[in-house]
Amino acid sequence: MTTEAAARGRWQVVWPYAGALAIALALLAALVAMLGGDAAQALAGLVRSSLGSGAGLGQTFNKTTPLLLGSLAVILGLRGGVFNIGVDGQIYAGAVAATGAAFVLSAGPKTAVLPAVLLAGLAGGAVWGSLPGVLRARLGVSEIFVTVMLNFVAVFLVEYLSTGPWNDPTAGEAITRAIPPQATLPYLWPRAGAHAGILLALAAAAGVWWLLFRTVFGYELRAAGDNPSAALLGGVPVRRAVGLALVASGALAGLAGAVEVSGFHYRLILGLSPGYGMMAILIAVLSRRHPLLAVPAAMGFAALLVGTDSLQRSVGLPASAVFVVQAVVLLVLLATEGVRRGGP
Amino acid sequence: MSWELFLDPSLLRLAVAMSVPLVLASAGELLMERSGLLNVAIEGMVTLGAAAAFLASFAAGSTGLGMLAAALSGVVVAAVFAHYAVAWRQEQVTVGLTLYVLCLGLSSLLYRVVVGVRLTPPRVETLQPVVLPVLGWLPVVGEVLFHQHALVYLSAAVVAVVHLVLFRTSLGLRLRAVGENPVAADTVGVDVFRLRKAAAAAGGALVGLAGASLPFTLTGTFTEGIAGGRGWIALMLVIFGRWTPVGAAAGALLFAYVEALQFKLAMVSRAVPPQFLQMLPYAFAVAVLVRASRGARAPEALGKPYHREARA
Repeated sequence: MTTEAAARGRWQVVWPYAGALAIALALLAALVAMLGGDAAQALAGLVRSSLGSGAGLGQTFNKTTPLLLGSLAVILGLRGGVFNIGVDGQIYAGAVAATGAAFVLSAGPKTAVLPAVLLAGLAGGAVWGSLPGVLRARLGVSEIFVTVMLNFVAVFLVEYLSTGPWNDPTAGEAITRAIPPQATLPYLWPRAGAHAGILLALAAAAGVWWLLFRTVFGYELRAAGDNPSAALLGGVPVRRAVGLALVASGALAGLAGAVEVSGFHYRLILGLSPGYGMMAILIAVLSRRHPLLAVPAAMGFAALLVGTDSLQRSVGLPASAVFVVQAVVLLVLLATEGVRRGGP
Repeated sequence: MSWELFLDPSLLRLAVAMSVPLVLASAGELLMERSGLLNVAIEGMVTLGAAAAFLASFAAGSTGLGMLAAALSGVVVAAVFAHYAVAWRQEQVTVGLTLYVLCLGLSSLLYRVVVGVRLTPPRVETLQPVVLPVLGWLPVVGEVLFHQHALVYLSAAVVAVVHLVLFRTSLGLRLRAVGENPVAADTVGVDVFRLRKAAAAAGGALVGLAGASLPFTLTGTFTEGIAGGRGWIALMLVIFGRWTPVGAAAGALLFAYVEALQFKLAMVSRAVPPQFLQMLPYAFAVAVLVRASRGARAPEALGKPYHREARA
């Protein structure tokens, strides 16, 4: 291939993303104008509040963490041909386990308590992912449905714990008592309010890349996802690989829940995840199921989340608008792919 | 607590009423799946249908207009889905999940734009029960089945019509052929693409109506989580009913019974925290699916895009 053709090829990949981003910003501007705000000012404010200031960047980093971990969880499943729609439930399960561990171990030293809390989050998410994993591997039950149902179960569990046994009576809402200081994640950039969770998420992205492309398990998983019957004929334990992928997927999401508790909220709350699981699916597709491309995609979604949060305060843009914008971005991308593929 | 609680006529009547969104949504999903389209946006479409119904009724004061708006919203989303899945051959679950997120966001956004921010959420008129003559005068059975609102009777009719169309007409035969073996159907001159799009539109209208039934029969208001997983559960009911409308409707009644029972138990029992009772329908749904997955056979071409020029 000549360099010219390669450059053209690269542009063919890039321009749909640029177009989708432009459409997303135009859509946001239109929504702001519809609510009676100044669109140009609002868009400037969106960029300033998410990327253009230290505090904004810190918030974007903090939001990138659960989005990146969540999308890595989805990617791990997608590579094996399964859809983990239960990231939200697994985040909550991880958060519950992490909070419980923090309460139980409150007397220990920080060097022991913090790792234990994070590990508990991993374990909680893994448990939540293991039920759909086992049902899928052993009985061929649709993981899409089981993971979604477990989201509801997890939310009710959090509601019970946060209003019942772990409730903070002084707060009065669906909020638990604060976790002890030994269980909290240190700041990475104290002035911007960014905690160290982003480092864990980046390490996880590298780890998932390594797992998928440099290990036997990753090879088997990808084979199972690309062509299960061929993989089976080639001696790949397809069911085991897919089941384990769902467990590992749950563990990653559970870690996100633990980080939200120990790095951001310092307690378990109902509404800990404002739909991270749904956004994680979009990010996974947007990054073409590649764990390293998920890093910029998650950061972009995080910036959008932080930016629209500021628009919520300034012009009353509802929180749900961010879902519309993110989904439209993906629909535009899928459409450009579809048009290029041509008609039936 | 005695066993009579479980067969209380008022409980059974509630169960029949609560089955409406499940019956309509699963009938709609079933139509699409029989044609080979796996639409997982259905939870979002139910939510959007509920929002459209509520908002049209709120703005125009007409329940009929609300139902029309809900059905229309379902048709539009299903048409978009079908275009991506059929014409562009995009991965159906991916498109479905994206549209699911879009519908959820759009529902709250539309609500916020039309209703604004208020201290107390506005209410719309709900459907009143219509007592059918003769049948409604029967003891117990009359009370359970025939003291219901119009959508209950409509959903019973929908199940019958979908059943007859699928299994007793040539259109239904062609639709099933397209879902099982599109290559063979195409060879004998069946328009695979048009039939799939038509099935999506018809199914979408039913899913939208399922959404309308939520504010019009259960709540009178709209909230973000109004669908409460009913769309996902409709997806499960299609498997439970082995891709037959009557089977799916039977599953819907069973499931609605568990849902209604949970309400009743919450009123009677103080020993169990309410959140654990609320988990019950979802745990039950998983258990039912595990049982139903054994030996279930989906339409052969379900979820697979049809490409004329691709080699089989």
